[in-house]
Amino acid sequence: MYRLAGFTGLPAQILKMGLMALIDSFLIWMFFAALAKESTPLSVVIACVFIAANFVYFAKFTLPLKFLLPGMILLLTFVLVPLVYTVTMSGFNYRTGNEISKDAAIEQIIANGLAPDANNTGYDMTLGKFEGDWSALLLEQGTAKVYLATPKEVKEITSGFEANEYGIPNTYPGFSEVTPDDASTQEAAIVALKFPLGQGQFIAPQALDFAALLTQAMSYDEATDTLTNNSTGATYKPNDEGNFVNINDPTDKILPGWRAWNIFRNYTHLLTDPVVRGPFIGVFIWTISFAFLTVLSMFSVGLLLAIVLNRKIKLRRFYRSVLILPYAIPSFMSILIWAGMFNRQFGAINALFGTQIDFMNSPTLAKMVILIVNLWLGFPYFYLICSGALQAIPAELEEAASLDGASTSQILRRIKLPLLLQILSPLLIASFAFNFNNFNIVYLLTGGGPTDVLAGKAAGATDILITYTYKTAFGSNEQNLGLASAISVLIFFIVGGLSLWSLRRSKVLDTF
Amino acid sequence: MTIRTSEKRSFLPKDFWSHIFIWVLILFTLFPIYVVITSSFNPTGSLATSELWPKLWSLDNYKVLFTLESVPYLTWVKNSMIIASINAVISVFIGAASAFAFSRMRFKGRKFGLQALLLVQVFPSFLALAAIYVMMEHVYTVFPVIGLGSLGGLLLIYLGGSMGVNAWLLKGYIDTIPMELDEAARIDGASTFQVYWLIFFPLAAPVLAVTALLSFIGTFNEFVLASLFLQDINSRTVAVGLQQFVGQQFGQNWGPFAAGSLLAAIPLVAIFLSMQRFIIGGLTQGATKG
Repeated sequence: MYRLAGFTGLPAQILKMGLMALIDSFLIWMFFAALAKESTPLSVVIACVFIAANFVYFAKFTLPLKFLLPGMILLLTFVLVPLVYTVTMSGFNYRTGNEISKDAAIEQIIANGLAPDANNTGYDMTLGKFEGDWSALLLEQGTAKVYLATPKEVKEITSGFEANEYGIPNTYPGFSEVTPDDASTQEAAIVALKFPLGQGQFIAPQALDFAALLTQAMSYDEATDTLTNNSTGATYKPNDEGNFVNINDPTDKILPGWRAWNIFRNYTHLLTDPVVRGPFIGVFIWTISFAFLTVLSMFSVGLLLAIVLNRKIKLRRFYRSVLILPYAIPSFMSILIWAGMFNRQFGAINALFGTQIDFMNSPTLAKMVILIVNLWLGFPYFYLICSGALQAIPAELEEAASLDGASTSQILRRIKLPLLLQILSPLLIASFAFNFNNFNIVYLLTGGGPTDVLAGKAAGATDILITYTYKTAFGSNEQNLGLASAISVLIFFIVGGLSLWSLRRSKVLDTF
Repeated sequence: MTIRTSEKRSFLPKDFWSHIFIWVLILFTLFPIYVVITSSFNPTGSLATSELWPKLWSLDNYKVLFTLESVPYLTWVKNSMIIASINAVISVFIGAASAFAFSRMRFKGRKFGLQALLLVQVFPSFLALAAIYVMMEHVYTVFPVIGLGSLGGLLLIYLGGSMGVNAWLLKGYIDTIPMELDEAARIDGASTFQVYWLIFFPLAAPVLAVTALLSFIGTFNEFVLASLFLQDINSRTVAVGLQQFVGQQFGQNWGPFAAGSLLAAIPLVAIFLSMQRFIIGGLTQGATKG
């Protein structure tokens, strides 16, 4: 042990101090960077990590924690926090159209809602630059007043301008008219122009030679939390889904909405809203049947193989190496290759049998394809664990039974199989839980399809809960993060409950 | 034993049905492998012209992978290798420390910690994908290097996700290393950290290597989070890159896709087969213990 002495004492102290100094300075830098960007959640997380690290590594009585802390930090921040956040998100109506905070939504509604004023005031306009900024000389129709409009203000001018042959002012000291070429290249900037009149009114160009007086259509009253349409006088109140709706007509709602906190909405929708419930129940049933059937098929083939290969038959080693190949090949590749092989027109399966079967377009066939490919991927694993478990069954049991006159099949059915099931049940349940969330096999093989788009279905025939969650959260039409989180929470409960039940059964929890 | 075989004498050769069963399984197993190999050498390159037995053989598909700029295959492989190796090494290092504490020390909350670990590791981290997406979108606004779209951010999520499984697996192994070794070292005056570094670490090295390998394969195969995270073509992993490449026009890129899959799979299969014994030991350990 003497040669280890260099590891204790001063060098170790210096090493530790140096490491901690490095980590601390890095964390402090991150903390201030997060503060500078006004990110409260990140600053809080970083501060917690900083405090925990310094406490644990400098206090004397925290030996186990010194070993546990790095793992704990990773587990807490990147597994537990997302789990908790998923539960929180499932309580919000958080989807396309309702993605921002309420304040931001009100701000956008007010900014978007511009409408012509009651008199439809219009202006003949000459567009140009004044002191480097976009500006306009305006002739108010009807009153013949002339204005100089700049992005800062609109002021009436009474002299210094000259009009063209149509009577529209086009020169003024400091003002230069825009050429038609410039106007066409900078169209985007011109369309976005708004010259403020104050009190929520603007003059905005409608064409290159015409502008209109626009007023803010909506105004927000903080005290009553209502929006009022200034031209129609209609009042809008917030509903519990995160939208302002007309108090007289609930279908008249204003976009955008906000993420409204409505804790049970997504869950009740899953169970009561026919648009959501229909696909959800179908997906749910298929998920359970898929997980069950796939574990059953993989286990049966794996077990049979283990029984056969546990005997001393010829070429055993060769068989064994070939048959575990599917387990060694990266699964995402195998799945993509199978997907190509099941192609209707060009796939190897149809070529082999000389058929033209459209596997991916029939719900039943697509489901069978998934089961077959997953069997290919999974039977080697079950062979390996069954083979291990068979060898763990004491040989005396078999000998005793055969002395008592039991046949091979009797020994298998009455003795080995029950024992095997008992030994393997935790792994079978774990495999069920894994396949319950087997995203890759479904997403890469069938993409969840076939989907009956004509019937307006959101979920495909082979979608399982996790791929349905993915489509709900990141679909091309609507992205409903709140509903997706609610489904995730349900999966947590199902998988977590199943695992807890399995652990209780196997009494693993008592052995700690 | 002899009694049983003699009572089942028939006109079929010994183990006839066993061999039939095995050969059916072998054909089933090898068929896709055969298809991917022949497709990768078929110069016509698309699924439409693929044949069970190609008339022409060439390396054109392999050339596409290494020469076409729109297919940064080597970059994808590099990304996958980097992220999977870093994840494997760091997660095994950190996981081993946690496993050591759980296996060798007795402290308050140990039982609760183990139960929590056991429960957490049954949830794949992509279950919380909506939350992860929103969180990492926010992280991106502050630290782009570890936010959405970066390999760094993806790595952090992977690290968190593999922590539970690795710590749990390693704890099982460490329990089998005899306590006497630690005790002897302690009597000689070694501190806990010394026991960890100098006794336990070298002893557990093969086990750590296997856990790291399993972790590596897991990360290499991961698709959901990687496809959510990595939008830029040059930051993709092999899984995402090949999927998008073959997914765009399934027919056209079939040949190069087959070639790319084959190339990426060969080293992994070789490592797997050479370490078979250890990996299988790890798998079945759980089975016989339950």
